[in-house]
Amino acid sequence: MLLKYLTINTIAEVCCFIIAVVKLRKVNDIFWKSWIVFLFITCVTEFTGKYLKDLYLADRVHVHPNVWLYNILLIAQAFFIGMMFMHLLKKYTNSFIIIMSSFSLLMIIYLYELFSHGIYVYNELTNTVMLVIFILLSFLYYYYLLKDEAYTNLLYSGDFWWVAGVLFFYFGTTACNIFFEHLSPEKMKSIKHLTYYIYNAFNIVLYGCWSYSFICKRWEMKILPGQSS
Amino acid sequence: MGNEDITWPIIIASAIFFLAPAALVSYLVIYNGRKKKHAEEKMQMEQDFNSELVKTQHEIREQTMQTIGADLHDNIGQLLSLTSFTLKSIAHSEPDAMLKKVNDAIDLTARSIQEMRLLGKLLQGEQLVGLGLHEAIKQEVNWLQKTGVYEVNYTCKGLDSTAGNPEKDLILFRILQEIINNTIKHAQATCIHIDLNYADACLKLSIEDNGVGFGINELPAEQIGMGLQNIQKRASMIGGETTINSLPGSGTTIHVFIPYPQ
Repeated sequence: MLLKYLTINTIAEVCCFIIAVVKLRKVNDIFWKSWIVFLFITCVTEFTGKYLKDLYLADRVHVHPNVWLYNILLIAQAFFIGMMFMHLLKKYTNSFIIIMSSFSLLMIIYLYELFSHGIYVYNELTNTVMLVIFILLSFLYYYYLLKDEAYTNLLYSGDFWWVAGVLFFYFGTTACNIFFEHLSPEKMKSIKHLTYYIYNAFNIVLYGCWSYSFICKRWEMKILPGQSS
Repeated sequence: MGNEDITWPIIIASAIFFLAPAALVSYLVIYNGRKKKHAEEKMQMEQDFNSELVKTQHEIREQTMQTIGADLHDNIGQLLSLTSFTLKSIAHSEPDAMLKKVNDAIDLTARSIQEMRLLGKLLQGEQLVGLGLHEAIKQEVNWLQKTGVYEVNYTCKGLDSTAGNPEKDLILFRILQEIINNTIKHAQATCIHIDLNYADACLKLSIEDNGVGFGINELPAEQIGMGLQNIQKRASMIGGETTINSLPGSGTTIHVFIPYPQ
C-alpha cells in the first residue's frame, strides 16, 4: 500500500528531509533551520498529491485534480528559497530590496493567474518566472562569490552547494521545459517516460546538493561555532 | 520522425543543460583554488615584511650598541683614564701643580659627562624613528658630524612629521644607515650630502658622497649581495625603487624613491 507512494522523487525528498532534521536541528541559523519546515511541507505535499491523484483517477467527475495543492506549494517554494537567497546575498549586497521586488512581481503574476483561471489550473507563468528569478539569483550569488577576495573552501561550503542545487535543478528543468515545449504533443507523449527520468535525475541532483549543503553547514558550525550558529 | 529519432537529441540537450551549470560550478571551484594560492602568497609576503621589520629594528639597535661600545672604549674610556692618571699624579709637596692638576681633572670629568650626554641622546635616537624620519636622520647626522671626519649636510623639504608611516620610516632609516656604513667603510669620502624630499605622495632620499666611487658592474657578486642588493630589496619591500650612480673616482649618489605615507 505504502510502496506506491515511494517514487525516486519522494525517496530523494524524504532522504533530504531526514538529513535536514539530523544536521540542521542544532544549527542556530533560522534561515537554514527553516529548511526542515520547507522539506516537511514538500514531502507532505508530494504524498498528499499522490493520494489526490489516485482519488482523481478513480473518480474524475467528482474529484478535482491535485493541481491546486501544487499551486499552494508554489508560494512556499517562492518564500523559503527567496528567503534563503536573501540570507546568502546579504553579505554582498542589499538583498532585501532584490528579494522583495521579486516577491512582489511573483505575487502579482500569481494573483493574476489565480483570478484568470482559478486554483484548479496550474500557475504555469508564475512557475516559469519564479524559476528564472532563482536562476538569476544563483548567478548573482556566484558573481559576488567570484568577486569576493576572501577565500572560502567551496568544497565544504554549505552556501555554495545549496546554490549549486538550485542552479542545477532550475536551470536544467527550465531549459528542458523550453526545449520540450517546442515538440508536438504527439512527440511529447511518446517521450513521456524519457522526460520523467530526466526530471528525476535533476531532482536527485537537487536533493543531493541540498543534503550535502546541510552536512557542510553542520561541519561549519562545529569548526566555526560563532559564525554558523 | 519516430520515437527513437528524438530520444538522442533530448538526451543530448538534457546533458547540455546539466553540463552548463556543472561547468560554472567547476570553474568556481578551480578559480577558488587560485584565490587560495593568492591568499597564501599575500600572507607569506606579510610575514616576510614583518620579519624584515623586526630584523631592521634589531639591526638599528645593534648598530647603536656598536657605536656606544666604540665610543665608550675610544672616547669616554680614554678621558676617564686620563682623569685617573692626572689625579694619581698629584703630589702633596707641590701645591701649585696640585691645583692645576685638579682643574685638569675637573675639565676632563666635565668632558666625559658631555660625552655621556651625547651617548644618552644616541640611545634615545634609537627611539627617534618613532618620532619621525626627519628627527632620526638629524640625530644620525649629528653623530656623524661629531666624529669630525666628515662634512655632513642634511636638507629636508616638504615632509610633514605628523603624517608619517612608522614602518616605512624604520626601513628607510635603516637603508640610510646601511648606505652611510658603506660610505664610511669603502668610500674614503670627506663630504656627505643627505637630502630628504617629499612631493606628490613620493618620498625621495638622496645620499651623495665625494668618495672614490666604484664601477657597479665591477663589484664582486658577494659584495653586491651583502650591500646594494640588500638596500634594493628593502626599498622594494615598501614599494620603492633605488638608483645608484657611481663611477671610479667620481663619488657615489644613491636615490631611494618610495610611495609615502601609504
